[in-house]
Amino acid sequence: MKKTLIVGKWEYIEKVKTKTFLISLFLTPAIIILFAVLPTLLANQIETTTKAIGIIDTSGIYFRELREKVSQYKLEDNQPNYVLVNLAGANKNIGEIKNSSDELVLLGKLEGYLLILNGGTDSLKAEFCDKNTANFRDIDNFTNALNNVRADLILTKEGVSPSIIKSISDKIKINPIKIEKGNTESKSDFLVIFFSSFVFIILLMMMILSSGGMLIRSLVEEKSNRLIEILISSCTPDELLMGKVFGLSSLGLTQVIIWSLVGISLAGAGVIPIEVFNNLVPIFIYFLFGFVFYSAIFVGIGSIVTSEQEAQQITSYLSLVLVLPVALTLPAIENPDSLLVHILSLVPFTAPSIMILRFNIGPIPGWEVILSAVIMIISIYFVVFVSAKIFRIGILSYGKKPSLREIINWLKSE
Amino acid sequence: MLLVENLTKKFKDVTAVNNISFKVESGKIFGLLGPNGAGKTTAIRTTLNIIKPTSGKITFENKPITDEFFNAIGYLPEERGLYKKSKVIDVIIYFARLKNLSYNDAVKQADIWLNKLEINNLRHKKIDELSKGNQQKIQFIIAVLHNPKLLILDEPFSGFDPINQQLIKDILLSFVSSGKIIMLCTHQMDTAEKLCNDIFFINNGKEVCSGSLADIKKNFGKNHIKIEFDGGGEFLESNPAVLHIDAYSNYAEIELKEKIQPYDFLKSIVEKVKVKHFSVIEPTLNKIFIDVIKQTN
Repeated sequence: MKKTLIVGKWEYIEKVKTKTFLISLFLTPAIIILFAVLPTLLANQIETTTKAIGIIDTSGIYFRELREKVSQYKLEDNQPNYVLVNLAGANKNIGEIKNSSDELVLLGKLEGYLLILNGGTDSLKAEFCDKNTANFRDIDNFTNALNNVRADLILTKEGVSPSIIKSISDKIKINPIKIEKGNTESKSDFLVIFFSSFVFIILLMMMILSSGGMLIRSLVEEKSNRLIEILISSCTPDELLMGKVFGLSSLGLTQVIIWSLVGISLAGAGVIPIEVFNNLVPIFIYFLFGFVFYSAIFVGIGSIVTSEQEAQQITSYLSLVLVLPVALTLPAIENPDSLLVHILSLVPFTAPSIMILRFNIGPIPGWEVILSAVIMIISIYFVVFVSAKIFRIGILSYGKKPSLREIINWLKSE
Repeated sequence: MLLVENLTKKFKDVTAVNNISFKVESGKIFGLLGPNGAGKTTAIRTTLNIIKPTSGKITFENKPITDEFFNAIGYLPEERGLYKKSKVIDVIIYFARLKNLSYNDAVKQADIWLNKLEINNLRHKKIDELSKGNQQKIQFIIAVLHNPKLLILDEPFSGFDPINQQLIKDILLSFVSSGKIIMLCTHQMDTAEKLCNDIFFINNGKEVCSGSLADIKKNFGKNHIKIEFDGGGEFLESNPAVLHIDAYSNYAEIELKEKIQPYDFLKSIVEKVKVKHFSVIEPTLNKIFIDVIKQTN
């Protein structure tokens, strides 16, 4: 036990000092945040300037109404979001108007223009011409406005009273509400689920890969320079194995704690929603399950590998297995009750990620949590047992990589 | 005393060590000698319980070698290497701690040994900044720092310059007088000849010849002479008294036929060549090694 601690401490301190660790500590969350938040931020960028939009209305009946509707869109400082310019000249044909409008847009005088083509009494065709293809938010705003205007006009023509028209055109918005224990209700926000699940799962994956990679590299080093022989003549293989897993887990824990602190402080600063940390304890437990499970696999595999190249090859295969839960995240968010999700919650390779996800989506039946946790613990025990056997023989076999049959023979040996 | 009895180690269809027995006593250096691939390293690994023997019994001070002997064993493997990115002092302390030394003792001993091997100035350097010889000194320190009762050294001198070889030899000899049990594994016969009291030749996993150095030499030292001369010594080879000759341009080691007296041989050649030096010698361990291995091959 004492030697296990000595090995663990050595592995921990020597790895904490490496550049790889520092990089994975700071770069991993930075990259994830960048990839996760940046597109959302860009899409939701709050506009600060009023846009000049031209209107070419061949029917001549929409412009005034449209201007009124559009004036409801305001910027944050209460300035109008759009200023509409009527481009329909009296005596020009449509081609000429379009050409001159295009020029205005290219010169930057106009942000873009809306072309309303009246093809007959009821059919209406509209195009939004813009320097960049389609700012979807502008298009959304104008689509809504134009449809409302058109509906108003048609209804007015049919003699419907303005108060009824108004009540129809007020849209109902559906708010998603998640029911939790104790009758509390909380807003279930896609962003929250995304952050608390996707990010945790990716962090878990990255952490397993970076520390597992470090473990394999250090084992390969010890094997190739026969340090392993000095180690094995100083402590038992089991002590060495446990020490390594212990050191590596401490390393993982350090990362998680630092990341959590950063996360909580970001939440405190309002950058990410505080709801992300609602299920921190069960998530943390499954995080550890996943980490120990995969670390033990890495130890077993690392002891078979005899060269750096082989190590890289095997690590890349394992990373494919690790990516699977990430790929399943979106379908699982969309359909958290499917049979597949229930099955994957019980498979030890995917259970940690899927359970982290499900804790965030909604309450999980108690029996399912217990079953999954029990399966996880048994699997970890089994993997550690198998890895320890492979480790005991594998660390001393040099040269050729052992065949599967040889490994099975190792497992059978007492 | 380390006692190895009927040790056999098989790997699938290869028998790396085949039924060997020997004992290593304190106060003597035991030399396990053999050509490359003879089974020396496997013999050591099974002795140290790093790998399990197929059969045989190994006892150290009358007890089987188990985990409790970890702290009494010092081992220098043949292939060298350390944690390249780590600091010298950290690596030394780590291995000392694994041999159950307290942190303070580890630091104290590290100091003593770094000074003894004249590399205390390197203690804060990273391993991969060190020269090969200095890395080897660190490995030697790791093998001996915890004052082991049983010391097993696989090729301890390879890679050292003559000055450092002398340094290590002196340390080993001081260990002998302090009663350690030392097993030396090498194919440098001149070193083995100077250091070892007991010799065990191994080839193809089998014992070829063993005993005290003096006895082995006596058995082999039948009729050897060494001769230095001016001028060509080609005629020596055709001399009927010569059984075997190692001839160089003006120096030769000759094994005479059994009934030939060295003095008569000298008389028969003084007229043909200008003899500068003539002596009756014991065969070198090198010679014995080559002969013995050739016979068994």
